[in-house]
Amino acid sequence: MSSDDLSIRRKSDFSEIHPTGTHSLEEGAMDASQVSFKSLFGGTSEPPEDGDAEPDSTHRHQPHSFRNVTATSARFADESVAPFLAKHIPEQYAPLGSRTGKPVDLSIANSKFCYRHRPDIKCRRQADEPSMDKLQRELETLPQSDQQGIAHVWSLFSAAPAKHRKLILQGIMSQCCFPQLSFVSATVRELIRIDFVTALPPEISFKILCYLDTTSLCKAAQVSRRWRALADDDVVWHRMCEQHIHRKCKKCGWGLPLLERKRLREAKREIELRATTWDISGSSPGLTYVEDEQSAATPTAERSSSSAKRKSEDSSDEETAIVKRQCSSLGPSSEKDDDYFKKRFRPWKEVYKDRFKVGTNWKYGRCSVKVFKGHTNGIMCLQFEDNILATGSYDATIKIWDTETGEDLRTLHGHQAGIRCLQFDDTKLISGSMDRSIKVWNWRTGECISTYTGHRGGVIGLHFDATILASASVDKTVKIWNFEDKSTCLLRGHTDWVNAVKVDTASRTVFSASDDCTVRLWDLDTKTCIRTFQGHVGQVQQVIPLPREFEFEDHDLECDNDNDNVSTVSDDSDPASLQTPVRLQTNDPPSQSALFGPGFENDRPAPPRYIVTSALDSTIRLWETTTGRCLRTFFGHLEGVWALAADNLRIVSGAEDRMVKIWDPRTGRCERTFTGHSGPVTCMGLGDSRFATGSEDCEVRMYSFQS
Amino acid sequence: MAATPTLILTSSDGVDITVDRDVAERSLLIKNMLEDLGETGEAIPIPNVNEAVLKKVIEWCTHHKSDPPSTGDDDDSRRKTTDIDEWDQKFMQVDQEMLFEIILAANYLDIKGLLDVGCKTVANMIKGKSPEEIRKTFNIQNDFTPEEEDQIRRENEWAEDR
Repeated sequence: MSSDDLSIRRKSDFSEIHPTGTHSLEEGAMDASQVSFKSLFGGTSEPPEDGDAEPDSTHRHQPHSFRNVTATSARFADESVAPFLAKHIPEQYAPLGSRTGKPVDLSIANSKFCYRHRPDIKCRRQADEPSMDKLQRELETLPQSDQQGIAHVWSLFSAAPAKHRKLILQGIMSQCCFPQLSFVSATVRELIRIDFVTALPPEISFKILCYLDTTSLCKAAQVSRRWRALADDDVVWHRMCEQHIHRKCKKCGWGLPLLERKRLREAKREIELRATTWDISGSSPGLTYVEDEQSAATPTAERSSSSAKRKSEDSSDEETAIVKRQCSSLGPSSEKDDDYFKKRFRPWKEVYKDRFKVGTNWKYGRCSVKVFKGHTNGIMCLQFEDNILATGSYDATIKIWDTETGEDLRTLHGHQAGIRCLQFDDTKLISGSMDRSIKVWNWRTGECISTYTGHRGGVIGLHFDATILASASVDKTVKIWNFEDKSTCLLRGHTDWVNAVKVDTASRTVFSASDDCTVRLWDLDTKTCIRTFQGHVGQVQQVIPLPREFEFEDHDLECDNDNDNVSTVSDDSDPASLQTPVRLQTNDPPSQSALFGPGFENDRPAPPRYIVTSALDSTIRLWETTTGRCLRTFFGHLEGVWALAADNLRIVSGAEDRMVKIWDPRTGRCERTFTGHSGPVTCMGLGDSRFATGSEDCEVRMYSFQS
Repeated sequence: MAATPTLILTSSDGVDITVDRDVAERSLLIKNMLEDLGETGEAIPIPNVNEAVLKKVIEWCTHHKSDPPSTGDDDDSRRKTTDIDEWDQKFMQVDQEMLFEIILAANYLDIKGLLDVGCKTVANMIKGKSPEEIRKTFNIQNDFTPEEEDQIRRENEWAEDR
């Protein structure tokens, strides 16, 4: 029989539906297979939809009936299988799952096929050893002739082109009973497993990896070499840093403290470029891939410092060979990569790791404590930057400390009474005292540069930003000092001591907190109070604006709000509803500013949207400045809250009850309570990885969460 | 009644599928093509996407045809989340081969929303699993030596939340 005959026969077999075998083919094998067909189905009325005989013989569960066939199937095979194989094997393109013909020189044929079906791409299934072993053992339990028959079926299928295979499968499956179909469906589920991250273009793989949390990403890096190269890449970790540094990721609740945000921004374009160049199919894809694989296998430190060239020289031949075999057109081109490594400092994963450790330490309260002793009276104010700590005390002195060594570097003498407030920057330190004066110091030398007297009572709060200094006083006023034009002005309105002030240069506004139980927001252009926050029932000691990046979701709120219509569920009929939350989130300057009155109608930025305050009513409150609403009250301190600090991730507070508490501003939960001071906590400072508290017990305690 | 304008797409396996123009335009590739070339009335060949996958993609586009246009991916970093809406979750309950093809098709046809959902689906398959479980899920060979594996495990220990 010629191969032509066979293909004609096959064609007719597939296309016609015969309730019983009506083939008029010369081969006895066909008759025999019909016999087996009938016996297999026990004479049920189910018509065979496909007259093709070969698939039948795969019914290994029915060896007794199968035996009828085998005597003739051998002869059949010799006559019909061989030509079929001869015809189709040369054209074979080795689609998924083929078991034979692997050694065929496929690379030549590659060009014909889409990227998906290139056999050298890893999405190609690998035979799985245990199940192949099992198959082998079961096959060996059958008589030689049965094995022969089964092998023929397999080889026919294996040799068949895709279209034929589909037909063969359709034929086989239409004959299957439900238990067999169930077997197929369970098996198929197991078999269709694709290594997405390896098989997809890197740009998409990065996208997938960017959806992972820290822990999952680090697990992914342990899967295989290829996964490691992708999951450890800067593209992914830069994104992680963006998401977590100095902001709390909404998904995982993690927040990492601030690092150089500038670097983060600058690297963004570089990273974007990198993500896309991974995609380039260079003229020598094998080579670039080798380099990539190499760099993945070397420790990251070396990876960033040494050149790609040296690395490929180091590579062992064996490894190169492996890589070449798996090679694809993926991987960054070498020149761009070189360029990239030259410019950067540390892998972003390392950066992230450091901050993550600090984050975990904060979370679990793992810290070291340093105590600074030296003042002879209660400490009323403090500030730290880098390794410098400045403290002001009722002993009328200011001390400068080295936070690394704990050494008392300098004591600034000059005030006649207790120091109640201070602030320093690179060049100067400004202090306010109960002696009613403000002094400007060179804190590096200890020299007092100038003294200002403008209040009729003690100066108990001050804050400067850029060229504006605001001072708060026992005389119930806030005084604004403009360094640039030397002008001053007075903000009147509070009816009791003003305890704290905060300048916001961008919006030209000032917040003040007072013993009259209110917080006020002042417009520096008009020198008027534009908002009063009422709610505290005790003297308000502190007011802190939260960073503008701080986001507070209205649905976090327990109290009533006017944004209840915010939809988080997608709704087909109203696409606008999907955008609503986005619009609320973005700080739309004109509309938000307008809420503060006519003075803010043009391009003037709005004041910070959120502030936190603390008072002697033992509470801390979070306010929304646009509406004046109190969004949340933090309960937990037993006595008045004197000291408060906050950033994007947390609020820290110190109170008369000698306790220090850390709060999550979003949930309102108190995350941790620290004790240690033997007197009321009067002041505090907060940094990325540490905070410091000052107390009437004359000591400063610094808690460091650095690992 | 004015009929909605339709287009004919031809899959890689040569099947013509008629689809509403606004549905097809969820694909930026097709949208831009129509804008550049104008409507010729001829069938648009979609190589690389077979009939089964193309139908699935059209099903998604039909369901999402009135979604607001995407706002560029800078917003992703603000709202990274692997939450998938219920309809999409059901839609993505397909075998890995189909999921793979959908992702490739979404990428090729430039349908950002579908690509996002596809990638999130894969991410969810990875999440919370041990390396060995990940290998099992995707049939990946562990090509590390035991020493390497141990070293890499230690390198990544910091990420355990404890």
